[in-house]
Amino acid sequence: MSSKSLTLKNVTKKFGSVLALDNFNLEVGVGELVALLGPSGCGKTTALRVVAGLENQDSGNLYVGDKDLSETPAHKRNMGMVFQAYSLFPNLTVEENVAFGLQMRKVSKHERKKKAESLLELVGLPTQGQRFTYQLSGGQQQRVALARALAFEPEILLLDEPLSALDAQVRVNLREEIRRLQLSLGTTTLFVTHDQEEAMAISDRVGVMSHGQLEQIDTPDTLYNKPATSFVASFVGTMNRIPTQLSDGQVQLFGKNFPALKSSNESGSVIALIRPESIGITAGSQDHNAKVLTRLFMGASSNIVCQAIDGTIIQSLMSSNESGDLHPGSEVKLEVLNKEVLVTNA
Amino acid sequence: MKRRIDIPLVATLSVLGFFVFIPMLSAFEFSIRTPLKGGYGWDQYIWAVTEEDFMHYILRSGWLAAVTVVITLLILVPTLTWLHLSQSKIRPLIDGLSLLPLVIPVVAFAVGAQISFPEFMQNTVLELPFLYFVLALPYAYRSLDIGLSSIPLKTLTEAARSTGANWLKTITAVIIPVIRGAVMATVALTFALSLGEYTLTVLLHWDTFPTWVTYVAQENLLGAIAISMMSLIIPFLVLTGLTLLAPERSAQRRK
Repeated sequence: MSSKSLTLKNVTKKFGSVLALDNFNLEVGVGELVALLGPSGCGKTTALRVVAGLENQDSGNLYVGDKDLSETPAHKRNMGMVFQAYSLFPNLTVEENVAFGLQMRKVSKHERKKKAESLLELVGLPTQGQRFTYQLSGGQQQRVALARALAFEPEILLLDEPLSALDAQVRVNLREEIRRLQLSLGTTTLFVTHDQEEAMAISDRVGVMSHGQLEQIDTPDTLYNKPATSFVASFVGTMNRIPTQLSDGQVQLFGKNFPALKSSNESGSVIALIRPESIGITAGSQDHNAKVLTRLFMGASSNIVCQAIDGTIIQSLMSSNESGDLHPGSEVKLEVLNKEVLVTNA
Repeated sequence: MKRRIDIPLVATLSVLGFFVFIPMLSAFEFSIRTPLKGGYGWDQYIWAVTEEDFMHYILRSGWLAAVTVVITLLILVPTLTWLHLSQSKIRPLIDGLSLLPLVIPVVAFAVGAQISFPEFMQNTVLELPFLYFVLALPYAYRSLDIGLSSIPLKTLTEAARSTGANWLKTITAVIIPVIRGAVMATVALTFALSLGEYTLTVLLHWDTFPTWVTYVAQENLLGAIAISMMSLIIPFLVLTGLTLLAPERSAQRRK
């Protein structure tokens, strides 16, 4: 595979009066898998379509390696793309679908067949080559689409929410398979999704987008544990938002002081951002400060929703074994397990 | 299980049979009469196929119809594909314009062609396919429009382009095969309409198969009916043969 890096520089794209991409910048390294994550309308799909050449940017440039592809038509960009909707050609067999890109590149029939067979083997469909696409399940169709996108050895692989039309179990299996393939082939990949679990699970880096710009691009760990903005903090994972006071760089939560992360030296009302797994619950304590509202059993862990004395709703994620004696109405003591606390303006 | 009789279907077929097949059967019966000998025979059919002009005019009408089909597909498939993909606001306008040939008198087309077509075109019979295309437009347009509306055109087009197909390849290797049914219907409608077109041809002083049949009818009415029956049956057999010889690939494999 001749994978290359992908760079978008100051790309702007407008649809009428709506600014879909606002001076958008992105760099994807060779062999890297970067996911673009964000709410509907944040511009992530537009960014992918601009890269594919299916939309023309109003301004800005696109580079693959050091080659400027800003004005190159889609069919000459040598990028493989998997779409959200099953986009296989219904008039062709599975094998012909996979070989389509090679046929367009005038590869000999024998070579095409050999390549298509090896790709189908790679995506786990070695015996399905002569079938028609409507005879396959949704998951199998997306595997074929993936094989088709990889068959002509693209410099960049683009995935436009390829898993969102699939069942939960198939989705988990296929995303792992996409990652396995991507790693083994070393293809530079841009992956657009609105499912944060999916993005975090398989990406080297995740870019969180909002209003046509990247809010933060980082490894899934950093994004989760050290979100750069309150938007990222709220968008990625679940976050408790607890109103408190900031003074001398410290916030007080449930009677204890914690150093505030990324705070200014100002004092006053702030919101402390704390993950549910960083909230500890002690049952039967004399100095209780909250009441359990519900306990949502999720298998290995349970989500406990509490109401603090001041009325704030707080979620805690804890092991189901340890939370067995917590029932709606139980009086409990909440505490923050972090050493430092991320805060944002109230 | 007892099979129920589908009354609406039977009623529709009966009405269709009454208005379509009975006149056709009557014409056929009339064409095989032998007034001089009495009874029935194939005399008129034998006369027709041995007539020198028969092959000349049927071939001329045939290739004119074929050229019309090519012109229709070359113009309509890319235009409609673009209209569907661009979600253009002018699409309702074009939809409306495509119906105009139904309401504009044929004589207006004939006069229009004589005014607007360049002289070199007016001097050749090739002016006819362009006018036949206009006459077939309302049917051909609708047939292709329905075909394109029934497929995920945008996704398929984008998939083809991102896989390396240019626009020409996208249309010929993906869109046309996928809407094959609609394309076949367009071919059949345009071919049949062109083959049987009479008024425009006469107004522009050209001779084709239908005008020749009218000429023959003045001298030999039975012969003209025999020729008409053949012109009805031959294209029907050809089109049926084509459909049977090249069935939908997917349907073929499904068996």
